[in-house]
Amino acid sequence: MTIADAPGQTTVGLEEYHHISAFLFREARLADESRYAEWESLVEDDMLYWVPRGEGEFDMNLDISITADNRSRLRTRIRQLMTGKRHAQVPVSAMRRVVGNIEAERMPNGEFRVFSNFILHELRRSSTATVEVWAGRVEHRLRRRPDGSLGMFFKKVMLINGDEPLPSLAFII
Amino acid sequence: MNGFTKAIDDRAGLVDVASLVETDRVHGRLYTDPAVFEQEMSRIFYGGWVFVGHDSEIPDQGQYVRRTLGREEVLMVRRRDGSVGVMSNRCAHRGNLVCIKNQGKERYLTCPYHGWVYDLEGKLRDVPYPGGFAKDKAEFTLRALRSESYRGFVFASFTESVPPLVDHLGKATILIDRTCEMSPTGRIRLTAGWSKQRFYANWKMLPENDTDGYHVNDVHASFAEAIDSQYDAAAMGSETMMRSEAKDWGNGHTELDFSPTYDAPLKWLNSTPERFPEYVQRMLAAYGEEKGNRILRNGPPHAVIFPNLFLGEMNIVIFQPVSASEAVQWHTPLLLEDVPDSINSRIIRNSEAAMGPSAFLLADDSVISERQQMALRDRADWLDISRGLNRERIDELGVIVGHVTDEGTNRGFWQQYRKVMTGEAGVGPRPMALSA
Repeated sequence: MTIADAPGQTTVGLEEYHHISAFLFREARLADESRYAEWESLVEDDMLYWVPRGEGEFDMNLDISITADNRSRLRTRIRQLMTGKRHAQVPVSAMRRVVGNIEAERMPNGEFRVFSNFILHELRRSSTATVEVWAGRVEHRLRRRPDGSLGMFFKKVMLINGDEPLPSLAFII
Repeated sequence: MNGFTKAIDDRAGLVDVASLVETDRVHGRLYTDPAVFEQEMSRIFYGGWVFVGHDSEIPDQGQYVRRTLGREEVLMVRRRDGSVGVMSNRCAHRGNLVCIKNQGKERYLTCPYHGWVYDLEGKLRDVPYPGGFAKDKAEFTLRALRSESYRGFVFASFTESVPPLVDHLGKATILIDRTCEMSPTGRIRLTAGWSKQRFYANWKMLPENDTDGYHVNDVHASFAEAIDSQYDAAAMGSETMMRSEAKDWGNGHTELDFSPTYDAPLKWLNSTPERFPEYVQRMLAAYGEEKGNRILRNGPPHAVIFPNLFLGEMNIVIFQPVSASEAVQWHTPLLLEDVPDSINSRIIRNSEAAMGPSAFLLADDSVISERQQMALRDRADWLDISRGLNRERIDELGVIVGHVTDEGTNRGFWQQYRKVMTGEAGVGPRPMALSA
């Protein structure tokens, strides 16, 4: 039985849960602060960064996504942000997100599958100077690196309003 | 039409659009004035033809999708006889939304408020507790819009007397043909769903920007720096090197034609024939060597069909006005029938790269439009669209052709806008409003 089937079940030890939570908080903070290079250092070579049109049964190969980046496209995305000419993030959005409801499980191969909820407030400094609220559920997949630290090879962000009109989303969500 | 459309003589309150649109400049008020927006609703979105969707979205009897035309909620439905109809999504009883899901499949459409039941043609079939309802059911329908389609592209109008769709499309049927002919069967499939992007900007900035070849170097500089693409040669070269063209096809339909830049097949896909040999083979088998090779080299059109459809290369795009200062752009990948899955997967990935809120291109376009809207907010006067007036020509089809960076496309859009908004376009001299 997976977490998706039985929310609330935690199948990792306390110390591992702490490591995983710390990773999620750090990942969130680097994204909030648009520290792209540091954020990218958390990413593994087989990374998939996927924002489908919400929760539900979406197939990446049949359905249009909001974002569906493999490692190469994610590299391009970050390179574009780092040109300083990505108008949608000039100046970068001021952002803070709260990550919670973290549920983690260890897969048979030793990798971790982690679900969490988030609420993100974004000040759109690049145009309207209004605050947007983004909320949703995230699935992370993590694995231990040789040095014992955690790396991320899958991040799926399921916005509650992914199938509704969204304003520019040029930052890393 | 049972009072469906009611002419209201509000000419006293009409905005004098003719004084705000000139050949080489347009007035900033057109983007911000709520009275202009109201007139656009009645004249453009309820008075003429607007794009609704594609029949491939609803292949089976009883399938429907919800759409918003102007500010009206409608359904596009596959009827019992296999035809496609467009009808109001408003119960004839107390005005409730009949369907709340974005798409579905039903044998009958039942209003969740008091249980009135309509068939797929929109006819009222059943009323709960009929003993207290003495009126003739035939008087009550989900009101049908006038609708016509061209190669599966479904258009509708709230005005029964609007001239035939082909009159509105004019020469632009060629553009829709070119879109469909990207498929070996001539059939496309819009089955990947729609991604929707909110612009805090006037809806007209979307069609204008989509066929504006002048902004590419500046707005998309970060894209050009981050990745090599077909647009480097097609839209980002020097003024004298670029061979792409801006085209005004008439009736407000406009195109950026990148094909003169493409010197090899599949450049428009940022790819090569070696990567997709089966697709190339099927295209050549379907269209013959000469035409097949021409399609594979030229690629799909990049063209706006007035007022709300964009044939965005391998994307289909809808512009949805919300208010004078807000709009939504819908997009879906242009999937092809009878091609290897690898081609359609590639089209989906390219679609996400170009279009939508997080795309390498459109995320920046929307923010620029929003900045325009902020700057135009109050006392803006004239905006210039003269670029290229000194060097445009008319080709053998009667299409006005300019350099890809020229503003003949925007001039074409605005001339049609002026005609429709002032009642010169033959779609009825009076604004039409929906009865309450």
